[in-house]
Amino acid sequence: MHIPDGLMSPEVWGIGLVLVLPLIAWAVIKVDRTMDERATPLMAVLAAGIFVAQMLNFPIGGGTTGHLIGAALAVVLLGLPSAIVVMTVVLLIQGLVFGDGGLTALGLNLLNMAVVATFTAWVTLKLVPAKRRTLAIPLAAWISVFCAASACALELSLSYALHPGQYGITAWVAIPAMLSTHAVIGVGEAVITGGVVIYLAKVAPGILRLNLERKDRTATEASDAGTEEQKEVPS
Amino acid sequence: MKRPKYLVGMIAIFLAFAVGLVGFFLVSEGSPDGLERIMGDHGVEEGEPVYHAPLDYGSDYLSALVAGILGFALVLAVTFGYLRIVRRRGTQSAKK
Repeated sequence: MHIPDGLMSPEVWGIGLVLVLPLIAWAVIKVDRTMDERATPLMAVLAAGIFVAQMLNFPIGGGTTGHLIGAALAVVLLGLPSAIVVMTVVLLIQGLVFGDGGLTALGLNLLNMAVVATFTAWVTLKLVPAKRRTLAIPLAAWISVFCAASACALELSLSYALHPGQYGITAWVAIPAMLSTHAVIGVGEAVITGGVVIYLAKVAPGILRLNLERKDRTATEASDAGTEEQKEVPS
Repeated sequence: MKRPKYLVGMIAIFLAFAVGLVGFFLVSEGSPDGLERIMGDHGVEEGEPVYHAPLDYGSDYLSALVAGILGFALVLAVTFGYLRIVRRRGTQSAKK
């Protein structure tokens, strides 16, 4: 889903860049402030793994292929801000070193895959009660791909609307085509994300709880603190 | 000390991607992806790149594998390097 140069109109990729920079800045500041140094190697290896995973194209039929985005996986393991940072590093190196995705389209690629995909996966997981969150991981993975593709389809449509025939693809074609292919690619994303999470749950269960249950953990900590206070009151 | 938890997790992810996916390269297809397919079907040409990247993914199994290993190492190094700069301040504030 990496957008090449010359596909989107200058207005669209300009807006994309302007929109995405403050969002990435927020993630960078957030990671800067809350980074757990023990998670550093994990984050680095996950970033590298996502890079490799994005190179692998699985066939979805009709001579079309799809590849993993990895946004949902990053969110499950690292939480939202770190996931955005990881996806940003992956996309920057793809664009700047390997020519995967155009330089002018970098802002849009970051918006779709580093922000929209991670954010929608995160929202999906947050909407599900903590106990069932593990089951919602494949769903979050599917939604992340579908929403990233929707964003891409809108960008194509908008580019076409602004400069018909010069940039983008008409909405009547772009939206159904992008959504139908990525609805299938999303299933691949869901299967791979689910598979990796099941594997990690068996091999290294500790890291999965890390960020998914952070909210619950802080809630427990708060209630613990509460009981301590209650104990202190009588004495 | 919770270090082993992260270490085990890191090694597990490393194995999953480095070993599992390099093997998967064998079945990886060179066909266009969803977006490329739609562009191709509707006669939208890929524009002339504004910027030429120094490397590409290669067109055969071996060159893609080399590109994959290079990219893996590069992303790992960049992320790790970046986080090492960040974590000094991060841990200081975490310790309060």
